[in-house]
Amino acid sequence: MAVTTPTTPSRTGNGMGLRFSGAWLPALVAIVTYLTLPFGRPGRPFLTIEPDLYALALGAPLLWIVLLGAVASFVVSLLRLNTAVRGDVLIATGTVGLGAGVLWFILSATPFGIGALLTLAALALVLGHALSESGRIQGDAFIATSILVVSLFVILFIIYPLFTVLRAAVIIDGSFDLSQLRRTLTHPLFFFLDNPRSQIDEIGLTLRWGMVVAVLTGAWAVFRRRSVPVVALRLVLGGIAGLIIGVLLYGRGALPTSLLTVAIVAPTCTLLGLAFALLGQRARFKPIRRSLDVISVLPIITPPFILAFAMIFLLGRRGIVTHGLFDMSTNWIYGIPGVAIAQILAFTPIAYLLLRGSISSLNPALEEAAQTLGAGPWTTMRTITWPLVRPGLAAAFLLSMIESLADFGNPIILGGDRNYLATEVYLSLTGRFNPNEAAAYGVVLLALVLGAFFIQRLWLGGGSFVTVTGKPSSGALAPIPRVLEIGLTLVLFVWTVFVAALYISIVVGSFAQLWGVNYTFTTRHYEDFMRAGWPVFLYTARVAAISAVPAMLLGFLVAYLVSRHRFFGRRFVEFGSLLSFATPGTVMGVAYIFAFNTGPWLLTASATIIILALVFRNMPVAIRAAVAGLAQIDPSLEEASTMLRARSLTTLRRVLFPLLVNTLVTGLIFAFVSAMTAVSQVIFLVSPGNQLATVLLLGWVEQGQLGRAAAMGTILIVSMLFTILVVLGLAQRISARVVRVEG
Amino acid sequence: MKRLTLVLVAAAALFLSHAQAQRVNLLCSPDLAWCEALGPAFTEATGIPLEFIRVSSQDALARIRAESANPVFDVWFGGTGDPHLIAMRDGVAEMYIPSTWDDIIPELKSVINEEYIPLYAGAIGFVINEEALGDLPLPRSWRDLTDPMYRGLIAMPDPTSSGTAYTTLATLLQVFGEEDGWELVEGIHMNVAQYTSSGSAPGQLAGRGEVAIAIQFMHDGVKFAAQGFPLTVFAPEEGVGYEIGGISLIANAPNRDAAIAFIEWALTPEAQAIAGELGDSYQIQSNMNTVQHPLAPNFDEINLIEYDFDRWGDPAVRDQVLTRWLNDVFAIPR
Repeated sequence: MAVTTPTTPSRTGNGMGLRFSGAWLPALVAIVTYLTLPFGRPGRPFLTIEPDLYALALGAPLLWIVLLGAVASFVVSLLRLNTAVRGDVLIATGTVGLGAGVLWFILSATPFGIGALLTLAALALVLGHALSESGRIQGDAFIATSILVVSLFVILFIIYPLFTVLRAAVIIDGSFDLSQLRRTLTHPLFFFLDNPRSQIDEIGLTLRWGMVVAVLTGAWAVFRRRSVPVVALRLVLGGIAGLIIGVLLYGRGALPTSLLTVAIVAPTCTLLGLAFALLGQRARFKPIRRSLDVISVLPIITPPFILAFAMIFLLGRRGIVTHGLFDMSTNWIYGIPGVAIAQILAFTPIAYLLLRGSISSLNPALEEAAQTLGAGPWTTMRTITWPLVRPGLAAAFLLSMIESLADFGNPIILGGDRNYLATEVYLSLTGRFNPNEAAAYGVVLLALVLGAFFIQRLWLGGGSFVTVTGKPSSGALAPIPRVLEIGLTLVLFVWTVFVAALYISIVVGSFAQLWGVNYTFTTRHYEDFMRAGWPVFLYTARVAAISAVPAMLLGFLVAYLVSRHRFFGRRFVEFGSLLSFATPGTVMGVAYIFAFNTGPWLLTASATIIILALVFRNMPVAIRAAVAGLAQIDPSLEEASTMLRARSLTTLRRVLFPLLVNTLVTGLIFAFVSAMTAVSQVIFLVSPGNQLATVLLLGWVEQGQLGRAAAMGTILIVSMLFTILVVLGLAQRISARVVRVEG
Repeated sequence: MKRLTLVLVAAAALFLSHAQAQRVNLLCSPDLAWCEALGPAFTEATGIPLEFIRVSSQDALARIRAESANPVFDVWFGGTGDPHLIAMRDGVAEMYIPSTWDDIIPELKSVINEEYIPLYAGAIGFVINEEALGDLPLPRSWRDLTDPMYRGLIAMPDPTSSGTAYTTLATLLQVFGEEDGWELVEGIHMNVAQYTSSGSAPGQLAGRGEVAIAIQFMHDGVKFAAQGFPLTVFAPEEGVGYEIGGISLIANAPNRDAAIAFIEWALTPEAQAIAGELGDSYQIQSNMNTVQHPLAPNFDEINLIEYDFDRWGDPAVRDQVLTRWLNDVFAIPR
């Protein structure tokens, strides 16, 4: 049955010796949809059947080529040819069809219709079969198609939108023009140092910082008896570091403000995250772990700016603590201090989650060995534990840094007289309506984030972000030094009290007649919420649920491809998912507006664009969950399945899926919850009838409808907590039973 | 593979949005409560469904301009007049003469040269929380606001996003002339604790004592006082500018017929009465047959300036003022 091809001995086609190519079905689908469904659409509505917009009616030469490609693919797939050769021919016909279709859309800028969507998707499937059968991709048709589809998605929904941002920053009215970029970067809103109106001399002070730090680092190098060039280098580096400190302290504008906030937030979050991770893993007092579990889910279920506005009531000018307890009247929380505190509260749990993984993956045997050799707890900590958690620390630092840079809800509420990069993206687009300026700010943010990623990679020497996982190992854990434990517990206690007070104040505010003035009990705000917010809440839940499924499936697929297969473009897929994860939400939101407002991709003012944005935003969450899950499964199980001639889709479905149900359900729930509480990536994408709960909530806060905002916040938090605790718990119990029955 | 194909087809079908029936997509700039009350009343009167998004007037103009190739909204309801004027002059909104045109207060039509449809009128003023002011004297004039003793005690909207704040800037420049006017704006800037993006938010900050003085429309201050905030509302001595809020039909509106039905309805006395009754909004309504709400500030008792809508509503002047404010005032650290 099997015939080897003498012409291509180096290459063996997959599915060798098939009579028909599997591509016949998608090719047929392509032909049928091409003929029966409209290729374009008149405006936003998808499901209108407009006779003029059928491919045949449009009569463009390129569209004839699409049909030709589909028909040729169909005919070729039924020919009894050598499989590999037939695959190569199909690659040609499929590519021609798909390419002609795409080219026509780009050239004619017609919004694509349902027919085009289906026809081109079917042609992509043809291409997937062809790539697999020709042996150009090692794997069966499913793997080949998946690789193709995932790469297409990465290009379309991640790379292309970001590219439009770059383009908007430097291309103005159709010609290359750096003036907007220059104007933005030299504008006082972005950065300035010397301020003639202030009492102090900013430049002088900055120079003094540079000198002092240079002298200090130089002196230290001399003290350590380093060689002359080393001392000189330290002097220069110290000078630069000092100048940066000076600029951050005395400079004004969005850049130094955002960076100074990052400089406060990222180290604090990382240290607190480490403290909590150590406590959670090694505390002698057990209830601490339980409270840490609760703390770790709080930021996921809380819309990012909720804590900021709760803080006003505790710490504001008339705050219960600041004014009520200490009788102070200051505006200190408006500005960097307030934003930094709000961000630390919101992002520390994220750092904690990351560090918990790396702390629990430490092999206790190493520490035991150190202690057997006579090292005390402090020495063990310093020489064994610390170096081992350093990569985890770097990851946590990076993540808090990204979150802080990208955060937009907290600065917009607590920003006071300072402005931030992420809010400037928003204000320049919505307020000043200058898309080019928004793009320029977006480029700066993106450069900062990607630069940080790059530096981290250099420092840690590679290691893909996707494949970093923590596998807990067993063994007796070395307890942390008692003094440290007491100190950390105290920190945790203060933290818990503060966070609890914030959440309680939201609930109290939702029942108070006039939050801050009149605390008579009322359910008025809940009635308001039911009237004005409930439909939006339901709509948001629906959109979030719809987006969670593809986010999870796609995440699982990417994780599976990247961790189990080697293929051309693997790094590209990894890079794409990294981009979607690292890009600040507001920048991605702007990118979607630029990319999908005209031409073939007219998607603005629809639920579709919101769902797409959420899918690609939350996909990395699912990827990480799936990668961690896959790492626990021995590949030999899949190999056995493959040996028994199961196709990869069958293996995926019958072997991996049942084993990973737990992980996948968790990924699904988290994708849903993060979609419910997302703000920055969707704030530009809402439209009448497509309003989202968090965006509405932010509007209410800005409008001063605080009681009602608190009511919606309370309902959002409670329902998400319910989803995570009850639904997830239930799902895990059921899935455990399923696995037990099947296994 | 067959099954996968089917799944993909099904998924693609799920992804599609629904075709839209005729309904009004409203871009709503006044107070949220008013916006919320409009939909049910309009649908009851005409049977046409209505969806709205509340956006400050400056942001609304930006959005209409941005979407002019493929408009999403049909009608722009409320918000200060200048952006409406600019939308008309830019051609992103179109002038529609409603059947109630002759019932609209003639002065409101004449000062804006009949360039857009007047919906209401409101004057700028001080909204003050005397308790938060403590021992400090009550500011009586614009000039008082520049006194350093009020540092960190003033809130006003951000002129780049709120029409209220632009009206304030234009008022100061008209009362004091260009040179003194800008100096005064700078002086006030030094005392501002926070610029809010919504025009009505400052009074709410003052109400809770986060600041003591809010610069905003008096009718918004009246609203917060009516809600129970400890606020006093008055106009500064030197005189105040005012707005004539508009209602505009978006050019190439996707639901033009429904949009016209809405504009017709919104200018009837019954529809305008909703503002005060349900909408917490106490502007002077533009239809002379509308029974004005008792809380609405009486224009006869306020020192109104001769606001030059033609000049200060001009897009070029507006851009110039906002750019100057952004570059030379907002950038000054406080």
